[in-house]
Amino acid sequence: MEFLFYFGDVFTPVNFALLLVGTIGGLILGATPGLSPTMAVALLIPFTFKLEPAQGLILLGAAYTSTVAGGAVSAILLKIPGAPANIATTLDGHTMAQNGEGARALQLSFLASAIGGVFGVLLLIFLTPLLAQWALAFGPSHLFWLAILGVTVIGSLDSASVVKGLLSGCIGLWLATIGFDDIMGAQRFIFHPSLGGGINIIAALIGLFAIPQVITMFAKGRSGDGAEVIKVQKHSIRKAIAEIIRRPRALGIGTAIGSIIGLIPGVGGQIAGLVAYDQAKKFSPEYAKFGTGHSEGVIAAEAANNAMVGPSLVPLLTLSIPGSPTAAVLLGGLLIHGIFPGTDLFDNHPDVAWTFINSMLIGQILMCIFGLYVAGMAARIAQVPQSVMAAVVLGLAVFGSYSVQSSMGDVYVMASLGVMMYFLERFGFSAAPLVLGLILGPIAEANFIQGSMIASATDGLGPYFMTGTLNIVLIVLIAASVAYSAAMELRNRRTTSKEDLMI
Amino acid sequence: MSIRNLPRLQHIIASGLVAAVGLWVAWISYTQQPTEAFLFPRLISTVFVVLAFWTFAKALIGLTKVGAGLNAHTIGNLAPGLAVALIYIFWAARGLGFYTATTIAFFILLSLYDPAPHNALRSWLRRTIITAVFMAVMYGLFAKLLQVYTPREIFF
Amino acid sequence: MRKLIAAAAMAAIALTGTASADEAADYPDRPVMMMVSYGAGGATDFQARIVTMTAGNEDALGMPIAILNKPGAGGRVGWNWFATQVDADGYTLAAYNVPHFIAQSIKGGVEYTTDSFEPIANWGADPAVFVVATDSPFNSMADVVAYAKENPGKLTFSGAGLFVGHHIAALQIEKAAGVKMAYIPTKGGGAAAMKAVIAGDVLGGVNNLSDAFRAREAGNIKILGVADLERSDFLPDVPTMKEQGLDVDNASVNFRGIMVPKGTPQGIIDKLAETVPVMFANARVKSKMEAGGSAIRIMNRDEVIEMWAARDKTLKELLAGL
Repeated sequence: MEFLFYFGDVFTPVNFALLLVGTIGGLILGATPGLSPTMAVALLIPFTFKLEPAQGLILLGAAYTSTVAGGAVSAILLKIPGAPANIATTLDGHTMAQNGEGARALQLSFLASAIGGVFGVLLLIFLTPLLAQWALAFGPSHLFWLAILGVTVIGSLDSASVVKGLLSGCIGLWLATIGFDDIMGAQRFIFHPSLGGGINIIAALIGLFAIPQVITMFAKGRSGDGAEVIKVQKHSIRKAIAEIIRRPRALGIGTAIGSIIGLIPGVGGQIAGLVAYDQAKKFSPEYAKFGTGHSEGVIAAEAANNAMVGPSLVPLLTLSIPGSPTAAVLLGGLLIHGIFPGTDLFDNHPDVAWTFINSMLIGQILMCIFGLYVAGMAARIAQVPQSVMAAVVLGLAVFGSYSVQSSMGDVYVMASLGVMMYFLERFGFSAAPLVLGLILGPIAEANFIQGSMIASATDGLGPYFMTGTLNIVLIVLIAASVAYSAAMELRNRRTTSKEDLMI
Repeated sequence: MSIRNLPRLQHIIASGLVAAVGLWVAWISYTQQPTEAFLFPRLISTVFVVLAFWTFAKALIGLTKVGAGLNAHTIGNLAPGLAVALIYIFWAARGLGFYTATTIAFFILLSLYDPAPHNALRSWLRRTIITAVFMAVMYGLFAKLLQVYTPREIFF
Repeated sequence: MRKLIAAAAMAAIALTGTASADEAADYPDRPVMMMVSYGAGGATDFQARIVTMTAGNEDALGMPIAILNKPGAGGRVGWNWFATQVDADGYTLAAYNVPHFIAQSIKGGVEYTTDSFEPIANWGADPAVFVVATDSPFNSMADVVAYAKENPGKLTFSGAGLFVGHHIAALQIEKAAGVKMAYIPTKGGGAAAMKAVIAGDVLGGVNNLSDAFRAREAGNIKILGVADLERSDFLPDVPTMKEQGLDVDNASVNFRGIMVPKGTPQGIIDKLAETVPVMFANARVKSKMEAGGSAIRIMNRDEVIEMWAARDKTLKELLAGL
């Protein structure tokens, strides 16, 4: 309950002003293509030099929470996921925006983010010691199985054909191996100098999602074969709240998966949204509606990626180990003021620690209020004529992918992947499984290599990867996931009508 | 060749290309050194090749169910835009400077795909204004706020 | 080696002629970029941001330095880019990590050697330390060596990758003790290697002194030895490897500093070499660095040239058998 004691500190005029600046600025930065939460927080670090430690952290904490939610804005309206966390949001969110339901999608995404986010921060407040144990429980073998669990999601994710979904995933896994291999330093598949640094995930996200969409708009032609103007429906906030309450399953699954997976160092943040989306789909009676603008998809994905924010800081705050790139940047923000995370932080600077945590709590709510306020306005973007939209998205894609690391090579990679993806999509492949492969590949590989090195020095490959409760639980989950996908595939086959075959 | 067969042939070509990439990946993975670094690529490429040939076989028999392929109309529509986009990205952005190239590409794309008439001054004016506003926002956001360093000097 | 660099410098002067003098007088007339070949939030990135924060002051460069991260493959991605694709006009600097880039250039497969770069100045030195979890039975390097002797190849210990400072320290420890241990390189830098130690994935680990100091403050690890010639001011109670009978010198100490690509006009190099050490010595920089637990070690251009050459020689011997 110690945190209540420091609540007042958040509301001093200067602190609250910083909180507002961080929240609103974070939403804008998060909505900018190419700016991941990590980069946004890194950009703000110099401003904290001049502030008190607690104030600097208020700014950073607010920015972190709201950039994650801000990524949903570009994911829904432009189909450019701001970060890997927002990929799942594009699947249903963007379809909703195209149907004129952008306001609804945005409102739901902000509400779900706030609920998930507040839950995550509360976990951070009350269960930190327990969570720290959980974060450490994942060794290389467990992380490897976790990545494989993610791979099993691939086949069923946003793809009409399981085989093509898996093949898309394989292409993604292969793309992830391009560049220098991280452990041995060997060069792999570098057939163009732009690939020397490997494929940057943010640039790839922009290319794979935004560019096919731009080309699709081109394909509609000048006279506008599909020129019917999208009617942007108004959607009241009250209705959005009512809808959130009616969808406790998606919200619960999203929040739970986000907080559990978000905690695991190095893996969580990237796949929490996708895994939550997939699970919400599997547990939903409206299975078939996912991907066609179904609100549960948006709710689960966004609840998960904000629920992850609080727990993802547990390893940093308790063990002084940054569990994610963003946490690493926040660590810098603390060190600059001479504060060491860990016991030092809570024993000697409780004001800093709790003000920071409280600011994330209040930040979630401010972010939600502000987001709901602009949602109706932002959704109007769907009314922008296709011709303008195509040019705008192309421009944003180029600037966004360039700004990730000021590299023309990333722009080339972005464009090549994007054009390739457009043609692949015309033949039944899809971007989401490909991206999942791209994210999971390095995690699976690094942990397999590291695990097998430890195993061969100790008790051998079999015992190391196959024994222990956590390993067995994960293997069972993988088997269940595969069995479920296979069962669904069979059921779908039987129910697929003749008309579907013609498409 | 009849129009009815076009998607099937296209599916054969597309899945054939994917299978060819798979074979190339497998070839590199199994021939390059050091072995440790290519262990994982070998695993991936094996699965890749199997799945790719499955898809290819299905396309050959004509069992492909998903994906509508391309038709002449679509290609005709997208070709000019794609050409402008590729020239912009792969040459102009570096050759002319980021902001100049973006301005030109943006304006050309707008003129190519905007349904408004090409012989009315009003619509040209509108396009110019949209381009100017977009560039102002991009400049403000990326050059001023985020201080992104463009490959060459700002406008050239 | 020094002669070679000097000769190259002469050649550069001859080539650029008098024009370079004017160029150097105006330099810098726009903001300067500095590439860090590790990700945002890592120790190198963090320190690079601190030591360059006063670059805009009139007594320093008078222009801000912006940090550009190009992480990947233990720094190879960034340094390859820096060696091959950067204009040598003084507007793109890079942070170097010795012994990392030197070890990588000896091992091969990269497009740079010490001759590809011109050092400007060194800002810090971060020795490698040997760490174990708090509940570990090991209390000194002697315990570690004894265990490794009884169980050859079975003592797992983590580090931030192959051919980086941690790996060099690991090789030196193994060589000095005459034992075989299992070095486990992690992806994700020192933080991931530290996590492996704290979580008990491995029995021990080599890590940065600055990160280990922090982790010890948090009560997570014990530090058994410092791979440097002298004890550190931050850890006066931790003995060096030499004190514990292991012949390990300072070859693995992670020196961080600023360099420019070969071919940069001599006037600009001279100007940088003159102003940058002063910039590092700024009192604000010093207080921020120390607050973060990172030791400052300022060395001027000549000292760095000498240090690079010495390191190149030691590492060639150490890595010859690999």
